[in-house]
Amino acid sequence: MTTLEAPGTPPPPPAAATRPLARKRSRPSEQLFKWLVMGLTAITIAMLIWLISSVVIKGAGSLSWAFLADKPSSNPDKAGFNSALRGSVVLMIITIFFAWPIGVAAALYLEKFATQSAEASERKVRERLGSGVSGVHAGWLRVRLSWLRVRPRVVHLVDVNISNLAAVPSIIYGLLGLAIFVGILGISKSLLAGGLTLAVLILPIIIIAAREALRAVPISIEQGAMALGATRWQAVRSQVFPAALPGILTGTILAMSRAIGETAPLIVVGGIVFGTAVPSLNPLDAGNEALFAMPLQIYFWTDQPQASFQAIAAAGIIVLLATLLVMNLVAIILRNRYSKRW
Amino acid sequence: MTTNVEPDTTADDAPIEIQLSAGAATPTHAVAAGQGAAAGPAQPELGPPIFQLRDLGVWYGKNEAVRGVSMDIPKNAITAIIGPSGCGKSTTLRCLNRMNDLVPGARVNGEILFGGEDLLSSDVDPVDLRGRIGMVFQKPSPFPKSIKDNIEFGMKVNGIKPTAERVEQALVDAALWDEVKDRLKDEAFSLSGGQQQRLCIARAIAVEPEVILMDEPCSALDPIATLAIEDLMKNIAERFTLVVVTHNMQQAARISDQVAFMTVEGKAEGERCGVLAEVGTAREIFSAPKDPRTEAYITGRVG
Repeated sequence: MTTLEAPGTPPPPPAAATRPLARKRSRPSEQLFKWLVMGLTAITIAMLIWLISSVVIKGAGSLSWAFLADKPSSNPDKAGFNSALRGSVVLMIITIFFAWPIGVAAALYLEKFATQSAEASERKVRERLGSGVSGVHAGWLRVRLSWLRVRPRVVHLVDVNISNLAAVPSIIYGLLGLAIFVGILGISKSLLAGGLTLAVLILPIIIIAAREALRAVPISIEQGAMALGATRWQAVRSQVFPAALPGILTGTILAMSRAIGETAPLIVVGGIVFGTAVPSLNPLDAGNEALFAMPLQIYFWTDQPQASFQAIAAAGIIVLLATLLVMNLVAIILRNRYSKRW
Repeated sequence: MTTNVEPDTTADDAPIEIQLSAGAATPTHAVAAGQGAAAGPAQPELGPPIFQLRDLGVWYGKNEAVRGVSMDIPKNAITAIIGPSGCGKSTTLRCLNRMNDLVPGARVNGEILFGGEDLLSSDVDPVDLRGRIGMVFQKPSPFPKSIKDNIEFGMKVNGIKPTAERVEQALVDAALWDEVKDRLKDEAFSLSGGQQQRLCIARAIAVEPEVILMDEPCSALDPIATLAIEDLMKNIAERFTLVVVTHNMQQAARISDQVAFMTVEGKAEGERCGVLAEVGTAREIFSAPKDPRTEAYITGRVG
């Protein structure tokens, strides 16, 4: 192939390409599309800026410590946001207290236990049935066997319906809460009833987020633990769950920020749009406290004809938005800080 | 790093002889190599079988993955399972500690006698079994925790008190101690791929199992890390029975005492299923294979 050449001989000329390299040229359709998507993005951002700035301009003047500390009043100059703030805090505590454990447990079951191979347990149950057990024990084994057979179909049904539940309009949850918590369980129309209703509302969101976080943990972690002689529960509790926890918490916070802005279901379960009580911050008293919440208070104020009510409504919106922003910020920090790349 | 790593020679008889004599309980196999060569053609007999596979078959749903595997796996020796991809090597390996129980739709039939008892029997507790028959996977899969936590987890679930000495011993056995002794609290993910895999081996050793199954433990690693792990395998083979799936025949030749060659057999309706073609000592398989399929595979890949 190549031979050594005597020093001084010029290198051979380069081989000719099929044609010279093309120069840069403009592509009008490319440009047009770029400007189009940029313009559409700008509209979205402009609307957000307009919303926030109009609220801030209207409400900033009314925002003060007194506004946060005062109770509601029919006089807009005296009216404060304190009851609404307290109500929302208690609502969130109750919501999370009920929704988180139930949602995470459901996600763990659906993701890690329900879809597991029933082959071994089915064989075992069948062998035991064949070995001549009788009476109650045999009946119980037969129940277990039929459950193992229908389980995949039941799990699939639950699967589909959890996604559907997440898309149900929130007012339907309000009606459900009214029927179950107020109607059947006899809880008074209080913060407790409101918190429970919001818990049901965000349950599917938490389940879906937790399942996604659990699914993001590689199966090798679980199998590695089980190959060491861990039971599935030990593997899930000690390895999979801690690894999924940041993702679960991120999803939970986003679900809470959905709940804190909900108005319609709270109105249905007896939300107070006008009242002068100041609810206790102790969640144990929530069953006797009137149902105050930030979005309810804002809704009531915006409904009033006087302009000064519009100003304090705007101030209330600023507080609500700030709360939401802080919650989302925490979620983002959690995700960036603890999310693992496998 | 130990220095008695054999250079990556072509797979002639020499490295096989080395391994056969190394199996006879001499840790410094470089010395043993000389003795083995001097001893001439006398082959050390494989020990008594710890596993006896009898007509093992695996189905995934309606697909037959493995059929009719019958073989013995000797105690305190290294058995390599080789063969083309899709021949059911890993599937067979995963039967030995009932990991296939975890695969939805998997069905295992036949018998696997472990110390004379069928471990596939439905009243055998797979959790306890996996504590006695550990496993290392293809991709290093440390837990997202500290190095120390990785070792201690298996001890805790098996009721072994996780003392500092035991942690150290497991890491020494896995030839990782010198590299991590000052950073036991560090995240396991901060280790290199080869170190992570040795951590996974240390984690398996720490449980004090009788058998360690390895599913292509070096396929994700570079040659240097691979040699470190092969070396460590040879060193621990006196204490543990090792069953290693590998697609690397030179590796099988370097490390194993016994080799099982699996292949794919066509069935009706164009389906394919893994079968055991031949099993024998490493020397038999690599220098005098009886089955023409073994010979074709070995000469095609190595010769």
